[in-house]
Amino acid sequence: MSELVRVDEWTWEIPASARDDMRVPARIFADEEILAEIAGDLSLDQLQNVATLPGVTGAAIAMPDIHQGYGFPVGGVAATELPDGVVSPGGVGYDINCGVRLLALPISERELGPRREALVHEISRAIPAGAGKHGGVRLSDEHLDAVLRDGPRALPDVRPDDIERTESEGRLDGAEPAAVSERARLRGRDQLGTMGSGNHFVELQEVAEVLDPVAARAFGLAAGQVTVLIHSGSRGLGHQVCTDYVKLMDARLAAYRIHLPDRQLACAPASSPEGRRYLGAMAAAANFAWANRQAIADSVRRAVRTVLGDAVAAGTEQVYDVAHNVAKVEVHGGKRVCVHRKGATRAFPAGSEEIPERYRDVGQPVFIPGSMGTASFVLVGQPGALERSFGTTCHGAGRRLSRTAARRRVHGSELRRELEARGIVVRCPSPKGLAEEAPLAYKDVDRVVRVVERAGLARRVARLVPLGVVKG
Amino acid sequence: MYRFVEHTAELELELEEESAEGVLLEALRAFAELTGRGRGALVERPVDVEAPDLPMLLAAWLEELLFLAETERLLPEDAELSVRGARATGIVRGRRGSPRPLVKAVTLHRLRLRPDNGVWRGRVVLDV
Repeated sequence: MSELVRVDEWTWEIPASARDDMRVPARIFADEEILAEIAGDLSLDQLQNVATLPGVTGAAIAMPDIHQGYGFPVGGVAATELPDGVVSPGGVGYDINCGVRLLALPISERELGPRREALVHEISRAIPAGAGKHGGVRLSDEHLDAVLRDGPRALPDVRPDDIERTESEGRLDGAEPAAVSERARLRGRDQLGTMGSGNHFVELQEVAEVLDPVAARAFGLAAGQVTVLIHSGSRGLGHQVCTDYVKLMDARLAAYRIHLPDRQLACAPASSPEGRRYLGAMAAAANFAWANRQAIADSVRRAVRTVLGDAVAAGTEQVYDVAHNVAKVEVHGGKRVCVHRKGATRAFPAGSEEIPERYRDVGQPVFIPGSMGTASFVLVGQPGALERSFGTTCHGAGRRLSRTAARRRVHGSELRRELEARGIVVRCPSPKGLAEEAPLAYKDVDRVVRVVERAGLARRVARLVPLGVVKG
Repeated sequence: MYRFVEHTAELELELEEESAEGVLLEALRAFAELTGRGRGALVERPVDVEAPDLPMLLAAWLEELLFLAETERLLPEDAELSVRGARATGIVRGRRGSPRPLVKAVTLHRLRLRPDNGVWRGRVVLDV
């Protein structure tokens, strides 16, 4: 911490001179309280480790939701200059394209009324949850290949507007189903449409406050409106893809004369056979994740139809779907770079051709889930993100307590009672899992969002509060 | 013995035993604590796990248990293992069931398996 230099009110840097092996500075968007929270863990050491990656350019960057992870800190961003800068599977993480999708229902919380509990219950029945939980869409080999190649487009009856309102339209170019191992295919084969465990959830929400009426209108959001936020990823398939390629690249480090301070940062030049193959497998897993969230959204619409009728289901529109864990080839500052986002969200401003035409005048929607029972935010990407963070902002509140510490401080059954006393319907099979995701385990999402807004990365559009939560 | 140590986001597991086999067996017991027990008849499953070095063997062993739990619903209870170099062979015993929320993956972050003053020490961070 002694090397930390304040650049401006919301930006701090550890200069590249702090360690012999750092190639660029480590930059942190934070306030003093956030910095104090991470002082006791390895977050900043991990960020400095990222700054040693061959080809890393600009700075190794951390968002205000930064916390200790493995290899990269969660909330970490690193761009490597192509063609020879590295790609690091650990810099994307095991849950490739873990991300969030927001659906907006054409009714208000008042109109939903007493049917709230029935809707949450029906959503929990419709979506298999839990780790390794099967019971999703079982795919043939051919259909799995199609999902890996084309994402949600490979699913039946997908609405074109859902595709249009998904980052990269739900399909990363260059996906290589053949680069996905048999073990990965076995793990993912019947997990499509399942939520997973840990911090994954589906939350029924109300738009409690509109902070930017112009952007909210463009996103189809109004005060009082009911929304559904879906948080899930590429399930066992993505976990195995990362496992396979971390091991492959670990074995090739010496051949590429790469020396790393942490084995989990295993990497290879993006232009190498290993790098190209990983990018093909990662794109396939990312496409699987978008198809997974599409299948979950379809289940949500079925639940809406059961409880609220055909017209409400038909009028349930996707606002957007964004990835939190991904590596993408982008152009920043005239350089072609591979941007690793590990627990971070792309946040392109108005005018970007990478975002849907309907949002191009206001900017890309970004969703920041708070902790369970607190607020979530809809943001919009700002020009500062392109100038300062490779077009990136934060992805959530960020953990501050370990799961064990959270369980020591709160019981799942007590938390359930507290949430229900506030009118929040809870469906979670495990009291232990509920306690691990208690609000006190996370940073204050309002403060995290304030930092990215003041730093010019993204601007607040709307504040959403929970009506019900379904957890894995 | 095994114990979980504090980690903000994930689960860090520390292991200590008299042999490399012992560390792998303790890792199985820690994994079993996370997944819970299955039901019905005891099932035996042959295993053969090889890695480039000892720390990677610890990671590969846990990955194998994760794979068996997720794809075969095999919740491990015990194993008979022989470690030669960085290869472990033997059988895993367990019962079929529905695993409790599982680890997603086994990371290489802070990974360790080595003899140290007469005991074998292992450490592994699990992505949960």
